[in-house]
Amino acid sequence: MTAEHKYAFYLGCIAPNRYPGSEAASIRTSKKLGIDLVPLEGASCCPAPGAFGSIDLNVWYAMAARNIVLAEQKGLDIALICNGCYKSIYEVNHKLKHNKELREGVNEVLKEIDMEFKGTIDVWHLGELLYDPEIVGVEKIRESIKVPLKGVKIAVHYGCHLLKPKKERHLGSTENPMWVEELVEALGAETVQYRNKMQCCGAGGGVRGYDLTHALDITNEKLTNMVEAGADAVVDLCPFCQLQFDRGQIEIEEKFGIKYDMPVFHYAELLGLAQGMNPSELALDLHAINTEPFLKKVL
Amino acid sequence: MVTKNYPDPKLNEKLRDRYYRRDQSNPEFTKETEKLAGSMAHMCYQCGTCTGGCPSAPRSTYRIREFMRRGVLGLEEEALTDPDLWLCTTCYSCTDRCPRDLAPTDVIMAMRNLAFRRDIIPVNFLKTVTAIYASGHGVPNNDVNRAAREKLGLTRDPPTTHMYPEYIKGIRKILDHYNLKENADRIIKEREG
Amino acid sequence: MAEAVSPTTSEKPKAPRIGVFVCHCGTNIAGSIDIDAVKEYVKTLPNVEHVNDYKYQCSMPGQSNIQEAIREKDLTGVVVAACSPRLHEPTFRAATKDGGLNPFRFEMANIREQNSWVHMHDPAGATEKAKDAIRIAVAKASLLEDLYPKSVPVEHAAMVVGAGVAGMQAALDLANSGIKTYLIEKAPSIGGRMSQLDKTFPTLDCSQCILTPKMVDVGRAENIVLMVNSEVEEVEGYIGNFDVTIRRKATGVLSPAEAEAKGIVGGGCTGCGDCDPICPVTKPNEFEMGMAPRKAIYIYHPQVVPLLYTIDWDSCVKCGLCVEACGDKKAIDLEMQDELVKVKVGTVILATGFEVFPIETKEEWGYKRYDNVITSLEFERLICASGPTGGHLVRPSDGETPMRVAFVLCAGSRDSTGVGKPYCSRFCCMYSLKHAHQIIEKIPGVMPYIFYMDIRSFGKAYEEFYYRIQDEGAKFIRGRVSNIQEDPVTKNLRVYAEDTLLGRPMELEVDMVVLAAAVQPTELTNKTRKLFGVSCSTDGWLLEAHPKLNPCGTTTAGVFVAGACQSPKDIPDSVASAEGAASAASIPIHRGEVELEPYYAMCVEEKCAGCGLCVNLCPYSALALIEKDGKTVMQVTEAKCKGCGTCGGFCPGGAIWMNHFATPQIVAQIDAFLLGGEQ
Repeated sequence: MTAEHKYAFYLGCIAPNRYPGSEAASIRTSKKLGIDLVPLEGASCCPAPGAFGSIDLNVWYAMAARNIVLAEQKGLDIALICNGCYKSIYEVNHKLKHNKELREGVNEVLKEIDMEFKGTIDVWHLGELLYDPEIVGVEKIRESIKVPLKGVKIAVHYGCHLLKPKKERHLGSTENPMWVEELVEALGAETVQYRNKMQCCGAGGGVRGYDLTHALDITNEKLTNMVEAGADAVVDLCPFCQLQFDRGQIEIEEKFGIKYDMPVFHYAELLGLAQGMNPSELALDLHAINTEPFLKKVL
Repeated sequence: MVTKNYPDPKLNEKLRDRYYRRDQSNPEFTKETEKLAGSMAHMCYQCGTCTGGCPSAPRSTYRIREFMRRGVLGLEEEALTDPDLWLCTTCYSCTDRCPRDLAPTDVIMAMRNLAFRRDIIPVNFLKTVTAIYASGHGVPNNDVNRAAREKLGLTRDPPTTHMYPEYIKGIRKILDHYNLKENADRIIKEREG
Repeated sequence: MAEAVSPTTSEKPKAPRIGVFVCHCGTNIAGSIDIDAVKEYVKTLPNVEHVNDYKYQCSMPGQSNIQEAIREKDLTGVVVAACSPRLHEPTFRAATKDGGLNPFRFEMANIREQNSWVHMHDPAGATEKAKDAIRIAVAKASLLEDLYPKSVPVEHAAMVVGAGVAGMQAALDLANSGIKTYLIEKAPSIGGRMSQLDKTFPTLDCSQCILTPKMVDVGRAENIVLMVNSEVEEVEGYIGNFDVTIRRKATGVLSPAEAEAKGIVGGGCTGCGDCDPICPVTKPNEFEMGMAPRKAIYIYHPQVVPLLYTIDWDSCVKCGLCVEACGDKKAIDLEMQDELVKVKVGTVILATGFEVFPIETKEEWGYKRYDNVITSLEFERLICASGPTGGHLVRPSDGETPMRVAFVLCAGSRDSTGVGKPYCSRFCCMYSLKHAHQIIEKIPGVMPYIFYMDIRSFGKAYEEFYYRIQDEGAKFIRGRVSNIQEDPVTKNLRVYAEDTLLGRPMELEVDMVVLAAAVQPTELTNKTRKLFGVSCSTDGWLLEAHPKLNPCGTTTAGVFVAGACQSPKDIPDSVASAEGAASAASIPIHRGEVELEPYYAMCVEEKCAGCGLCVNLCPYSALALIEKDGKTVMQVTEAKCKGCGTCGGFCPGGAIWMNHFATPQIVAQIDAFLLGGEQ
């Protein structure tokens, strides 16, 4: 199938440097669905909205703008796979487009590196592109499946910055969204609804670095709720949330003495599995939590 | 504030003047916070919707409503020196639900910006800055990952600043424009020696 | 432009002699405008014969100054520079008349609302602006002419739209004062929201028990023509003479009177209910908030007025079983059509009420998603002895009695997000207190939790009621509910809020949540108000003529508002406003005639080409072409004309003279402004 939709693939940090399987899976699965993700050379950290936003919002704007301008220079919209990156890149793009004063301030700084924010592109999360029937849509995903993920129950973690604040996003309900469940069910898996589904993973805002046990206590509450609902795995759309749930379980065991063994996937990884990618093509061995028992159930 | 010069310093602390007086309020703090947050924080009517849905509140003394109140009253010292300021996970639930259409999350971010101007900042935030200054990434690549990438058919380093380090120069220029690296190094050194 | 000549004067007008009276309004004006400088300036203006200033021009001595000056200086026009004409134009017109001049030779310059109040930080600028305003007023006053208001007779009948408690009260008052009153109601029964309530606060008397006598009175009142299942379709005319077209929706059922008119002796609907059990179609009863069934041929409840069945055409399958069951009464006509009825009335009262805002749009509380989250109006039906559960409060999920009930106040009220309503819905605090009382009374051991931001118990005996409910054991939690989550197994609800007085977040598991949802004007309000030319606020509530001094009137003469269509009102306030509106609406009818402002357009016949372009432009259908002396000319129906000026501005031949806003007068004002007083 030829790719009809071409995007500059903005990688961020955690996906390429910790969970490269999500990167590989995103590129390969998208291609099958008509989306061409091309490298965005020279991109950096988005930069981390919690850290940079807390220190100096102006730096956050300028650094994010640099990444956006790279895509403007390519003449391509950005697609990305991380909610944190979405906050930085999507939100700064939106703010700079609509706030002249802010844009002029940022362009003053960008001038020093011969760049200018022009406001010519849009920013998308790959998840929303997959859900959008104009681009891909649930039907097309279902048709692309070779190995239906039968017999497993998935808890969806939406994460925060993809949907909230609602007024600065466009993805609908923030209290009870169901569209990622639809995406997961298209892979043949079951989804479960669990208590406090929309709660944060705990990692954001710099809290993971500032007070790890505080962050983990939030993660632990979510994991408990997911287990209570009978989930076999967590799926998310954000490598930072993924890291918090995946590596967080090791830390939770260490600090609180509680063990879950709950595998955690980025949606792209699950989509890859369902489209027939081999687990070794997804580097699932880099996950902190062993995915083997889950794989045995579905493959 | 009434200072009590009792001979026993413990008593002075125990009996410390706890009246809220107007001289503790800095109206400029309210204005600065609002400007940075882009939200009319002085319109908070203290309903507690924010705290009621806050993931950090039930496991700490962090009360975002109290920070909003401090914003309304201009209680700069109390807001910026409270270690709870750094417990917001920026989940934006409060912003979504605030009936006054305020953005408490952004108010917290604004207060953190103002705290940083006074060198009040947890070190972990600054380490992200130094990491990015060094490589362009907050979470940089490592050898285990490089090997894994190669097996996946990806480039050993992602096509970011990792593969194209010539772009790091521009990033450093931006950070230096705000003296961020310099300040980060200085504060880290002060804290950690 | 052709020079316009007033058609009203034949004799040569006297040279203008204008008196100018500058008001200090205490310090309201004098605090920011330099009165002496203004006076000195006004003395230099052409035609000004007299200048005077006074602390309060509206006071008796202030008015005497005007009267004396008219007589002593033989003035031809009066200018008062003071507040907005909305407040004191009538006062100064009267003073002008008492001084011996035609009252329409008075002109007002607003130097308070549009000047001193808004420019209080710029005295120099304010003073200059006052000079401009007075110069412009003097220019107009110099060209003002004698005008004589016309009187029109007032139809001895009134109309009330909406038959909730406010509309019923207004109709009863009008009828009892001897006025024939058409009471129009869109629902099949009168009674409105109040008839859905169980008890009323703070007296706790049964709502139906105090309302049904009034309903019966309305049904029996000789002077009331009751039209249910009816909507206003079209309105023409003006105060004293409104021609209103009513759409009487086909109910499929004949009343005994209608049957008799059709020659069916002893027939028509008696409300016997024989049709009800046989009807095969079941639908949710809207009166019971959809919690009880009704048939396609139905009544809301046994006390409806009028007691007539109605067919819901959207669900009727026209099987004809009801026609059979009705038998010789022959009350049912499945082919009945809507009917348009035209009536003439002198004045109108709008009492179109309120409805509950769609609270499911505030997703965080889960209404319509969680079984046991209900609205207060649903609670009223569930706790009401005549309601679908016989007054047993039960959980919709399992029919169990809830033992822990959370009441969420300000659910969608005081909400600036654009989803909810920015205003206070005003009666939710009090009815929620009442709800707490009702469950304590009915369910031993129950615990009501009231989540509130402020308890607004402002009415007579309301604060005492608050005291009582707290004493009865209701728990008050000062915090707005952040979100609610349902336990998927038990269907219990976890309510999340902060107890802001304790400074702690709380998670409260309850069996039921009652949302005190914000209220909004009813769906039909907007359409109806447009038909009558009544304005509304940004929230859609009907706008009164003055919020304090004319709360029942509107800016359309002869149209009044009553009850909760104006703003959220509890029962005592609704009834009080209805009595106010009825009194106001009866005055023109009892006087028998009304004076119309003489601001109507006039045709200058010798200039009129009879082109008729103006006729179609007129928004009030006040113009027509007639044959006069062998020539086609336009003619104005003065009583219909509102003086808007559309025709006058458009007439290509300059043949339309707008009284009091005539072209030369307006041109003089513009010149005075642009030329700065130079002639």
